[in-house]
Amino acid sequence: MRNSLSRIYALSKRNAKEIVRDPLSLIFMIGLPLFMEILFYFLFHKLTDQFQMKYLAPGIVVFSQAFLALFAGQLIALDRSTSLLTRLYVSPATSVEFLLSYALPILPLTLVQSVLFFVVGGIFDTGLFGWGMAFAILFGIFTSLFYIAMGILFGSVCNEKSVGGIASILIACQSLLSGMWFPIDGLGDGMLALMNALPFRNATQLVQNAALGSGDAWVDLFRPFLILLGYTLAAFVFAVLIFRRKMKQ
Amino acid sequence: MAAIQTRKLTKSYKDLTAVDQLDLTIEEGELFSLLGVNGAGKTTTVKMLSTLARPTSGEAEIFGYTLGRDDAKIRELVDISMQETAVARKLTVRENIELFARLSGQSKEEIDATAKTIYDDFGLGKVANKKAAELSGGWQRKLSIVLALVTKPKLLFLDEPTLGLDVIARRELWRVIEGLKGKMTVVLTTHYMEEAEALSDRIGVMRDGKLLFVGTKEELYAKTGKSDVENAFIEIVSGGERNA
Repeated sequence: MRNSLSRIYALSKRNAKEIVRDPLSLIFMIGLPLFMEILFYFLFHKLTDQFQMKYLAPGIVVFSQAFLALFAGQLIALDRSTSLLTRLYVSPATSVEFLLSYALPILPLTLVQSVLFFVVGGIFDTGLFGWGMAFAILFGIFTSLFYIAMGILFGSVCNEKSVGGIASILIACQSLLSGMWFPIDGLGDGMLALMNALPFRNATQLVQNAALGSGDAWVDLFRPFLILLGYTLAAFVFAVLIFRRKMKQ
Repeated sequence: MAAIQTRKLTKSYKDLTAVDQLDLTIEEGELFSLLGVNGAGKTTTVKMLSTLARPTSGEAEIFGYTLGRDDAKIRELVDISMQETAVARKLTVRENIELFARLSGQSKEEIDATAKTIYDDFGLGKVANKKAAELSGGWQRKLSIVLALVTKPKLLFLDEPTLGLDVIARRELWRVIEGLKGKMTVVLTTHYMEEAEALSDRIGVMRDGKLLFVGTKEELYAKTGKSDVENAFIEIVSGGERNA
């Protein structure tokens, strides 16, 4: 057990450094969403509720997590394309240890994202500060697990070049199907049903409802939580199975 | 105790038998060189014995542990330096050493001692804080090889270790490999005949997945009537007679 934890620690430390030392990953995971949060607030918050900070900040938190899938996927795909991962397979580390080492270092990053975007949001709307924000940050860590799992899945399936394209589709889905960038009232029932069945809107709603912290909103946590939990578990199971299969190959 | 014992070990792909019924025993502490032209099956053999590739048929034991059944235990005892450079590019040299040392279960003090030995033996101390990606190809190659030594395995596979190294670095590595004799079992695959001649206790020659010869240099010379490994190797490979 101690050896296993030591191996997970060593691999996680390496993976964290690989991500953090890539300036592009920091720009996309933190810089770009932060810029969008401030820009969209100033441009539109007087025009529509959509861009009030109480909706925008939680939405940005989840939007930024879609980039986690991109960078986790790229790291794994790049490792697979070089001999490094093959070389590491000869070590006593197991496939589960490898997967944990890819997932764990991303959690502190998602915490940084959530805290930063909520605090910046709170500067513009002090009503955001409070227990709702604390719960929303916790739920933000939960929602990030789905995107991390998707990143591991992409990295296990795709090569170094194609992983960016596939992850971009996920980021586009997060933008278009979360309902955070435009009002969804005018969309048809079919489209709304699709959005409610997919993980993207549920992830956004979960963090938004937690941040709002009102009685009704908290009751509304249950459904998106369960739906996202299902997607997250499915994504992790697929990721583990495919990663293990690739490892054996 | 035998470090490696294989019985009819075979690896087949769709229309190719990469390793064909390999029977081979390598004793503990031995430095064994596996020679062969491209596509002879050397790397596939090494990959199977290091648990990276699953044999199609046959059996192998590494220090008494059965390949395929006891792979986790085998991975604690073996390490490999692959043909391709395999380093964590965004980590420094020191961090690469730490990563591999920690994976092999070394404590902080042991890691420090290992790093010092590596710096002294390979001159890596002067680039210890440089990221691997910033090193020249030769230095990256050197680091890649060194990482296999960091874990202090009982059985070390060196697959074309000196490929891409300059003559000084190659001789440096020879010195290190010679220093490993008796301390660990080393299986070396190489295209450089003088390397096998200088370092090996025994030599194996493969062609088309089959082991054509196993023995000492002297036995190789006696078998072929030649007085150096290169000509003896050519004689065996072009003659194709089995003498395993």
